[in-house]
Amino acid sequence: MSSLANRGADAQTRRGAEISARGFSWQHAERTTPAVSGLDLNIQAGQKVLLVGPSGAGKSTLLHALAGLLEVDESQQMRGELLIDGADAFARQRPVGLMQQDPETQVVQSRVADDVAFGAENLAVDPEVIRERIPEVLDAVGLGMLSFDHRTQELSGGQKQRLALAGILAMQPGLMLLDEPTANVDPEGIGPLRDAVLNAAQLSGATVLVVEHRLEVWAQHMDRIIVLEPGGGVAHDLSPQQLMEDQQLRAELASAGLWVPGYLPQIQQVTLQPGGTLLEAKDLVCARAEQAPRTRPVTLQVRAGTATVIRGENGAGKSTLALTVGGLLAPVAGQLDASEQLANGLGSSPFSWKAGALIGRIGSVFQEPEHQFVAQTVREELAFAPLRAKAIGGRELKYEPEQVEQLVQSLLVRLGLEHLADANPFTLSGGEKRRLSVGTVLAASPDVLILDEPTFGQDANTWRELAQLLVAQLEQDTAIIAVTHDEHLASVLQAEQIHLAALPSGDVAKPKGPVLDAPVGDSWLAKINPLAKLGAVATATLPLISTLDAVSALVIVVASVVLFPLAGLSPLKFLKRAWPLLLAGLFAAWGIALVGQDSGAVYAQLGLFSITEGSLQGGIATGLRAFALAIPCILLLATTNPSDLGGALSQQLKVPHRFVLGALAGMRLLGLMIEEFTTLTLARRARGVGNFGTLAERIGAKLGQSLALLVQAIRRAGRLATTMEAKGFGTAKRTWIRTATFTRTDAAVLIAGIVLGAAAVGAALWAGTYNLVWS
Amino acid sequence: MNQVAAKQRTSWRVVDIVVASVIAVASGVIFWAWSAGMPLFSLAFVAFPPAAALLTGVWLFPAVLGALIIRKPGAAVFCELLAAIIEALLGSHYGLSVIVSGLVQGLGAELVFAIFRYRKWNLSVALIAGFFTGIFAGISEAYILAYYVEYTSALKILHVLITGVSGLIIAGLLSWLATRGLAKTGALSALASRRAHLESGKLDAK
Repeated sequence: MSSLANRGADAQTRRGAEISARGFSWQHAERTTPAVSGLDLNIQAGQKVLLVGPSGAGKSTLLHALAGLLEVDESQQMRGELLIDGADAFARQRPVGLMQQDPETQVVQSRVADDVAFGAENLAVDPEVIRERIPEVLDAVGLGMLSFDHRTQELSGGQKQRLALAGILAMQPGLMLLDEPTANVDPEGIGPLRDAVLNAAQLSGATVLVVEHRLEVWAQHMDRIIVLEPGGGVAHDLSPQQLMEDQQLRAELASAGLWVPGYLPQIQQVTLQPGGTLLEAKDLVCARAEQAPRTRPVTLQVRAGTATVIRGENGAGKSTLALTVGGLLAPVAGQLDASEQLANGLGSSPFSWKAGALIGRIGSVFQEPEHQFVAQTVREELAFAPLRAKAIGGRELKYEPEQVEQLVQSLLVRLGLEHLADANPFTLSGGEKRRLSVGTVLAASPDVLILDEPTFGQDANTWRELAQLLVAQLEQDTAIIAVTHDEHLASVLQAEQIHLAALPSGDVAKPKGPVLDAPVGDSWLAKINPLAKLGAVATATLPLISTLDAVSALVIVVASVVLFPLAGLSPLKFLKRAWPLLLAGLFAAWGIALVGQDSGAVYAQLGLFSITEGSLQGGIATGLRAFALAIPCILLLATTNPSDLGGALSQQLKVPHRFVLGALAGMRLLGLMIEEFTTLTLARRARGVGNFGTLAERIGAKLGQSLALLVQAIRRAGRLATTMEAKGFGTAKRTWIRTATFTRTDAAVLIAGIVLGAAAVGAALWAGTYNLVWS
Repeated sequence: MNQVAAKQRTSWRVVDIVVASVIAVASGVIFWAWSAGMPLFSLAFVAFPPAAALLTGVWLFPAVLGALIIRKPGAAVFCELLAAIIEALLGSHYGLSVIVSGLVQGLGAELVFAIFRYRKWNLSVALIAGFFTGIFAGISEAYILAYYVEYTSALKILHVLITGVSGLIIAGLLSWLATRGLAKTGALSALASRRAHLESGKLDAK
């Protein structure tokens, strides 16, 4: 255990909560069998309990019930009782902390301090008290080095989980519930997270319940291990000692899919016959995009019937390397050549192959199976690639339609998905989704199979099924390349291992695409109340809507440019931010010059339209007005954090905080969704869907991708809502650690905006150019 | 009992608020990706700007999609308004007026769902809502925010009609199809629209 656990030992120890279940049963709406049935259980205050069981044993349901998050409606879905400190769990009398497995949705706010405070604010704790707790709890989880304004989006998965834990600690709960907290965390993040949890338990004295199927991480640090039965109650209640010694019990747990410490799933070993070289990389350097960080040069040789495992630290670019070798990203430097055998009539660079030709040669399986689903049923999903795979030369189809039908049928059997042939791929279980995603790629019989973290989050049973499938593939002369931390998988595949060294430090990935919560700096305007700025921009620019003339627009444009230094904006910074808007303004001007009302001299005749003195003047005014509307907004955006704007809207304008904070929580996911959209583009190319074909096909592909993004977004929203509710969100009264104030300077800024708006209209009236657009 | 059911139908739970917000944000990403990925489109329309109104529906779908998924009063306005705020925060050459547009567009769809008392979510209601959000958008662009002062009256009316049609197809039809597609994946399981894919596709379905 790290030194973490000893920190803050002088902190006041509070009493944990006592849990008791008496014949507790719960059935989800629209399900035919109960998730939990007749559960009898007693957990003493302050105990640390590991809760395990096969999938479908109702572990998550029990945690959600204890967190008071299950919705009770009129149907008779609950029986028995579930008590926390003698009171009904659904009454939520004492705060209960809940951590789920997806790090992205355990964090709610965009700044570290705000996120830690979120739960305590919802419990209406005095802001002074919360501010004192923040450094304490950040220290307790080993994140004391972060500044309060650090962007939460920049943290790693393990750090996000620890931040969420700090937020739970700040609520001073009597009970902490952790639902597979390490399942989506990289191996190097697991230890620190586990230690942070143990330290938090010691400091708070809270009772701790951990659900996890990798027992070795937790077992020896716990007081008790409780094994649940599917759809029933407690199967075993044991000590960590018994788990290590009772062989019969170990075998029983392992066969239920649990990762019992020291037990590894066995696969029948085969003798592999390496074949000819398929791919060769020489000093290959990879990157996601031109500006993105580059990997160190890699040299490797891929032979048929052999496996290669790519290892390396987090952020070394292992996935980027896999995408490049998979022909989905262009190499930045060095060589990547397909042999004659693999290229089979095409050029030697896999990236140059069309998607249809690529999938029959190199298949890529992404980390998240759902990213690669493109069809409505499992059967269609498996038939998708073979129906599109192109043979030699990349023109003719590789299979006849009848062959495809047989191929799909045999794949269904091999994958053990026969009974699910007509199910929607998204509704499968985790292990089934993983097998299907491998199967969809195998369906096109690629010679090279590339997998990114294929065993991530699998239980021992689904792991074995997947490993067996891969070994069988090796026997059939397929080459396998896997990015994985899983040593057992590497040994089962008899893989050659290559290590990708980390990038030079400081070379971290920058966010692609737009960012909403970029740091606002410390300019003069950054310190002004967001509502004052918003009001000033509105009163200065909105009067321009009433008129279309160059004079009023020019007044606003000039005034805004003069104010740039107050926002800390240099002309270069401004242009970097504003060029798309300026371009759009020019387009608008051009459009009006073309179709606007003609008068005066004719400058040009373009088909039906003519550019005349009148339409040109209209165009110039339109363009200037667009600038005048947009440029003051840049001043506002460059100096305002959306969270502060939201806080002010809620505290000072009394906009309901549920909607303001809900919107902000959603907005935090923007960067993540953009990243996901980019990944979807690659994942779908790997399935044979790409930016090619007729316009209709391309639009169809884009629509499908948009729908896939929405699926991920809505699922994530559901998990985020659970996190927010568990942190007490949605109650009528809450406090704020960042109190919005309105000073005389803020008032002066607002008045300046009003004066500017009036001056612009006044100038236009004086110059005689004002023309009311509604007349 | 009836009161409880009525409250369940009209009051927003946390999950409704967060999902609605995320739909608006995802719409922002989709706007961004479409405009970044299809510059040819915009260029084609430079030749005849009123035709660009045919694409306006893309900017209107959050209103109808949000309402069809959340099925609560105010969902159309909330999603469209938030999508507009995000557009403004990312920088828009319409400045703050984009927020006014968002509000007006959202109201167009909201009005239709309100007339059906937030009880009907079938294809024809979706199409009418899409059409009205388009008409509202067209009217606000042509007459309220007056982006097209220089258009002739006939062009302005044409503009409003084209936006209406665009709303009907892109915001109405596509949102309805998307809701069914999403329901099939099980992603809507916590929401009132969880069974949307089992509802009839007929225009007059309940």
